[in-house]
Amino acid sequence: MKRTMVWASMLALGVAITVAAAATAQDDLPAPSPIEKTLAERAAHVTEVTLDKNMLAFAGKFMNKDKDDDKDDKAAKEMIQGLRGVYVRDYEFDKDNEYTAEELEGLRKYITSTDWSPMVHERTKGAKEGTDVYLKLVNGQVQGLFVLDAEPKELSLVLILGPIDMDKIGALGGSFGIPKQAVKDVKKAQKEAGK
Amino acid sequence: MEHDERELQEFERKLRMAIARREAPLGLKSRVLAKARERRQAQRGRLWIWQRVAATLVVAAVLGGFAEYRHIEEIRKGEAAREQVLTALRITSRTMGRVQERLADGR
Repeated sequence: MKRTMVWASMLALGVAITVAAAATAQDDLPAPSPIEKTLAERAAHVTEVTLDKNMLAFAGKFMNKDKDDDKDDKAAKEMIQGLRGVYVRDYEFDKDNEYTAEELEGLRKYITSTDWSPMVHERTKGAKEGTDVYLKLVNGQVQGLFVLDAEPKELSLVLILGPIDMDKIGALGGSFGIPKQAVKDVKKAQKEAGK
Repeated sequence: MEHDERELQEFERKLRMAIARREAPLGLKSRVLAKARERRQAQRGRLWIWQRVAATLVVAAVLGGFAEYRHIEEIRKGEAAREQVLTALRITSRTMGRVQERLADGR
């Protein structure tokens, strides 16, 4: 009996650790996909930004510091508050369509798991270019935004993890050039997804 | 002549007295050695103080330099992180703009 209790306790502990590890892993930024490496090799210009929660908090300390008139800093600081990670990749190519549809599909599948809801999936028949927008919704709250935008000579991947306040994204409109309409569309989709 | 001889004898007598071996006063050697030791110790003491002052200054300069280096390094890293955030948000806004344009074109 005593032995069974010990085994049961160990099993319960193991399950708890696994669940905790899985929950933590969900919050973590993904490791770079192997596809990114091949894209980077072909690209003429690559921008890679990976900022985890700690790095965002650290960067926040240096924003809007003695720069009261810097709107970008102020808006960015408000935007990153509470975020768990920012993962951005931008590949610029010399020639058109230097990526394949399989690579785009691979990136989409690599980043999005079951928690992600597709919001926009735009493709033109016969063209590789297209746009995908996914939202990670937890209890009706946006907890992640994934955008994969494929242009003829540019491929952009944006992954933001954490509670995303669409009003704050709207506030970026003035300083970072995000069109207000895009924010409205996202908020509308968020409401529909919450229903 | 006789006078000269007497003077010479007197001189020799004084000379003998002057160069005659005499015992040193009691305790002179120990007093001399103690005095020499005292002087050496005083010199060593002054040198030791200056050495300590110099060592303290060197340690303070090294620690201060290290602290300043850490501070500058932190500012540099912070500014780099800030730049990365701004770059990420610029790319995000550009991408969102393109998405919007694409969706608007599709309407």
